[in-house]
Amino acid sequence: MIVLGSTSEVAQAFVEKALQEGEKFEKIYLFTSNKETTERFARHLDVKFLQQAEVIELDLTKEIDYNRFDHINSNVLFCAIGYLGEGTEEGLYDNKNTERIIGINYAKLVPVMNYFAHKFESRRSGTIIGLSSVAGDRGRQSNFIYGSAKAAFTAYLSGLRNYLFDKKVHVLTIKPGFMATKMTEGLPLNPKLTATPKQAAACIYKAFKKQNNVAYVLPVWSIIMMIIRNIPEFIFKKLKL
Amino acid sequence: MKPNFTQKVTNWGNFPVVEKEMRSEDSFKKIKEFVLNHNEIIARGNGRCYGDASLGETIFSTKKLNKFISFDRLNGIIECESGVLLSDVLEIAVPQGYFLYVTPGTKFVSVGGAIASDVHGKNHHAEGCFSEYVIEFKLMVENGEIITCSREEHSEKFWATIGGMGLTGIILTAKFKLKNIESAYIRQESIKADTLDEIFSLFEESEKWTYTVAWIDCLQKGKNIGRSILMRGEHAFQHELPQDLAKTPLRLKKKLQPTVPFYFPGFVLNALTVKIFNWLYYKKQSKKEVKSFIDYETFFYPLDAINDWNKIYGKSGFIQYQMVIPKEAGKEGMKRILETIAKSGNGSFLAVLKLFGKNNLQAYNSFPLEGYTLALDFKVNSKLKKLVDQLDAIVQEFGGRIYLTKDSMSRSSLTNYLKNIRNSKFVSLQHKRIINNNS
Repeated sequence: MIVLGSTSEVAQAFVEKALQEGEKFEKIYLFTSNKETTERFARHLDVKFLQQAEVIELDLTKEIDYNRFDHINSNVLFCAIGYLGEGTEEGLYDNKNTERIIGINYAKLVPVMNYFAHKFESRRSGTIIGLSSVAGDRGRQSNFIYGSAKAAFTAYLSGLRNYLFDKKVHVLTIKPGFMATKMTEGLPLNPKLTATPKQAAACIYKAFKKQNNVAYVLPVWSIIMMIIRNIPEFIFKKLKL
Repeated sequence: MKPNFTQKVTNWGNFPVVEKEMRSEDSFKKIKEFVLNHNEIIARGNGRCYGDASLGETIFSTKKLNKFISFDRLNGIIECESGVLLSDVLEIAVPQGYFLYVTPGTKFVSVGGAIASDVHGKNHHAEGCFSEYVIEFKLMVENGEIITCSREEHSEKFWATIGGMGLTGIILTAKFKLKNIESAYIRQESIKADTLDEIFSLFEESEKWTYTVAWIDCLQKGKNIGRSILMRGEHAFQHELPQDLAKTPLRLKKKLQPTVPFYFPGFVLNALTVKIFNWLYYKKQSKKEVKSFIDYETFFYPLDAINDWNKIYGKSGFIQYQMVIPKEAGKEGMKRILETIAKSGNGSFLAVLKLFGKNNLQAYNSFPLEGYTLALDFKVNSKLKKLVDQLDAIVQEFGGRIYLTKDSMSRSSLTNYLKNIRNSKFVSLQHKRIINNNS
């Protein structure tokens, strides 16, 4: 398995869930911008599951040397890279913030995804799982820079799924709603709408086994987002969402 | 949305409830920053202690320190981060033929919490406390420095931290020994006792057993005082097991895990329902003595089988009252305690009696003393403070003390036994309460 964004609690919970369910991986490749905590996770996998894992540094804000990834091959790719940045009110006119959000969530990420998609295409097998966001379903005043980057990522995954379909590679788009993770710590989230990383991992694993195309982490989010998507624009623009 | 780390926090007894800042980090660098930038911090694991022990002005949750570091499968030595739960350890250890040397009545406590409380189990008389098997741990102290504490290195900090209720720093990782087992099952004998004298002599004659514990019906009065069931057990060898279990001796079958869906309304648990429960529990076993093989989860963690069982006490919560009375006065003390509870009508759903063995003198902050210990739970209501006060008076008279991990309202003369922990950075609400009451 290839994991992009290995310090993500959801990614870690997914890896554990898959191993608990008896999935076999020759090696797990943990891509990360934080070597310290990821190395701890790699050791954890070795102790708990006797699973070999390799930690590979990846910083999307820097130039990427793809030669370092030559040896990497797998049949599952899990991408949990995401960056919330400052919300609209604090960060809209801060260009650095905007560039970083767009870069990490979409612009810099897609070439990396493409690099591995190409490998999957040549193997003619495997599953690519991408964590997008419900924020990409419709732009809202509170965080539409992040939302627009995630919308682009969702569209990318959808197109990739279409493109790879007859090459026997499956692409799964996950749209988590609120999750109780580092990204949202301290935010006032409704507990009924918030999934723990473990819950999220179980949902994603199920969608992975069922070869779903798009899955919301908590089913309630598919209803919420259906409503939000269908509010007429002349009303929507007046809402404080 | 701006982050706001203030939230309602409460431990397993749902009493008291506080609104304080709680943070969690998995990077040691960030934990250091946190320690340097905050005052009055207390570490909190899985919140399975009862009263106010892991509550403070600023709470550091070790939940994200949940990784294993190493497992020496040959010698049974495991190292992990402090937020790893004992249940996580068992998940790895049991299939490999290892078990925890010492476990409390729930497997959902963190390793850090087990050290800070120096937890004890049904085998205290034979194998002591959790700390006996701790080889070393890493502690972040007030200046953010990480020190390794063992019997040889920083030994002063090592012993102060054991049973030290988190007041010496934040435990980050720990290395400890596991014991060999041949099966995940316990050979159990449970024996009914009709009187207090009978249960005490059963304890004494069961001294050779590794695990002993008694459930006691604390609503009985007069000649029925002390009506109880003693359970004693040993890890079963593979050859002892019945055939169907002997095939895969280290694997348990999956069980259904019911969850208590909401806080029960206050009237559900009252003197009558507790009486009925206790009567049923006692009558369930019809024979005087029953021998059986049961899986380790049922033997050690019967309450863990029901998720969120604390909710049966309703929103007002409950307290656990656990004390120890030195051995020579134990019988007399227990009798007085049980009489007082029966008279108050404030029944305890679950009352557990244990005989502690000799305490480790080096682990001076540890709760156990050689003697009898009784753990009771009481629903929080208007009469409770008075009962606790009466019980405290008896414990004091007999020279006993209270388990800090479960304390939230006992008098400070019984709870103020920690030494070498003076530190203005790591402070809990419990410690403040005890110190303030002392003056």
